[in-house]
Amino acid sequence: MNSLYMPKDSFIHNLDPRTKMIFVAFVVLSSFILNDPALQLLFLASLFPLVVAAKLVKPYLISMQFLLLFAVLIMTVHGIYNPIGVTPVFEIFGGLTFKYESMVYASVMSFRILVIGTAAVLFVMSTHPSDMASALVKWKVPHSFAFILLSTFQIIPIIAREAKIVMEAQQARCLDVKGSLIQRVKNLIPIFAPLFIITFMKVHQLSYVLECRAFSREGTKTSLRDTKIGSKDYAFLLGIVVFLTFEIYLQIFLSGSFNLTTNGLLTYSLIGTWAVFALMIAKFVIKRVQGFVGGMADA
Amino acid sequence: MLNNRKAIEVYGLNFQYPDTKESALKDINFSVDYGEILGIIGPTGAGKSTLAMCINGLVPQVIQGDLVGEVFVKGMDVNEGNVAKMSEHVGFVFQEPENQLSQMTVEEEVAFGIGNLGVPREQMEGRIKDALKQVGLTGFEKRSPLALSGGQQQRLAIASVLAMNPTILIMDEPTSMLDPKGKNEVYDVLKSLKERGMTGIIIDHEVERIAEYCDKVLVLSEGQIQMFGPPNEVFSKIEHLHQLTMHAPQVTECLHQFNEQFNKDVKLSTNVEESARFLENAYKSI
Repeated sequence: MNSLYMPKDSFIHNLDPRTKMIFVAFVVLSSFILNDPALQLLFLASLFPLVVAAKLVKPYLISMQFLLLFAVLIMTVHGIYNPIGVTPVFEIFGGLTFKYESMVYASVMSFRILVIGTAAVLFVMSTHPSDMASALVKWKVPHSFAFILLSTFQIIPIIAREAKIVMEAQQARCLDVKGSLIQRVKNLIPIFAPLFIITFMKVHQLSYVLECRAFSREGTKTSLRDTKIGSKDYAFLLGIVVFLTFEIYLQIFLSGSFNLTTNGLLTYSLIGTWAVFALMIAKFVIKRVQGFVGGMADA
Repeated sequence: MLNNRKAIEVYGLNFQYPDTKESALKDINFSVDYGEILGIIGPTGAGKSTLAMCINGLVPQVIQGDLVGEVFVKGMDVNEGNVAKMSEHVGFVFQEPENQLSQMTVEEEVAFGIGNLGVPREQMEGRIKDALKQVGLTGFEKRSPLALSGGQQQRLAIASVLAMNPTILIMDEPTSMLDPKGKNEVYDVLKSLKERGMTGIIIDHEVERIAEYCDKVLVLSEGQIQMFGPPNEVFSKIEHLHQLTMHAPQVTECLHQFNEQFNKDVKLSTNVEESARFLENAYKSI
């Protein structure tokens, strides 16, 4: 399997891909409606049970690490340097002050990335690409477009392998791949030019094959995998609608009357991301050191 | 009229690629009967693939060029319909196994072609099972096509074509990218298809196999038909083949060498048993 799809038997996996696509759209929309760090944090926490229900906790946390990098960067840099900040919250070594307004701005932005990332990861990991393609076709998306999406999964590993072959062939002709950075960037041309040509040729050949498999035939097409919208999907969609109404109500009628965002929350979420980030770095360093020590022991 | 038409009929076929001076195919005439396997051999650049692609309409409908002449498949003019319509009658297997695969699993790959034909889902499972059984890939349904060996991939490509129930199967150098084991696998499939009465065209450089499996052989060189007939007849004209920089099967070559060396006139054969008998008789008389 070349995609990120993780075959599991769960409630989320059994949902129709169309339901899940609506869910992703809903999450993106909500992340903009809930324009407040505290509410977004709550929303993120409320998405986590879905991840647990999909039995994807471990792969989810692994992919979240990368998004967390963005969050750390945004929260730190914006928190200190964003010019909209006025009210100082706390100060770290010598003059670098985190300000309330800029921290709110940064938190909203980075929580939004995490929330949307969570939904996207949930969708990609729980939906079989072929199902997604056939669901799109049911939404009257052109068959060829669905095929392009699907064949991407197939062509990426082939291109990766061809790239390796081209790289080795060019190395055999004295292409320096271990030189300085500028030299290496320059060397991308003799690698990418043949790679593009090979890929175009392969795709061209594939177009003949598709023609021979009646791809351009007019009339209805059928597919092996079927997706059906069942009672589960309707229940899920109902849940989404209820949640959305609640969010809009919250924003319109209650936005001024209560405020969950405090200095403490902002500070703790910042420190929290730092802590997780520090853990990640520590893990990385330990792995490196272990590898190094192991290498020494082997020698 | 329609009943006495042959499976494939080609009349006065000429084809020229754009921006070339010389025709790729010059005045090609031949016919293949139902249940016959035709082997096309010839040096590289002889126009073998172009000829094969004329038969399902890929040339000139998708690969553009000037085409003169007529091609009939099962009595239908190929160029009146389109390739997609023709694909129900003519299956085409290409040279590179990997380029022919586009789906996530083996069963979806086979289902892709029949899905395009609009076969209902209930019938799909049976047809997939049949097609995979014919090529000996039962039990591979859930695997990724990219995780198969070359021979298996090529057999999968054949299965996806077979599932569409074509009357005629064209294979364009299906074994040239494969190792000997893969070649055997593909030819075993061809053999079992022949037993089921499938009409076929195979392009290959393996003259031994062509001689063994094909009912007729067409020798193509520089776009012209040089020889056309049963394998025994074609491979007996060994000098003509050598002029075209081609070889006859090894047994035939052996008999030919024997004739040259001892100035004999032993009848040439492509059959090992027959050749051995001829050679034995001739050797006694030296």
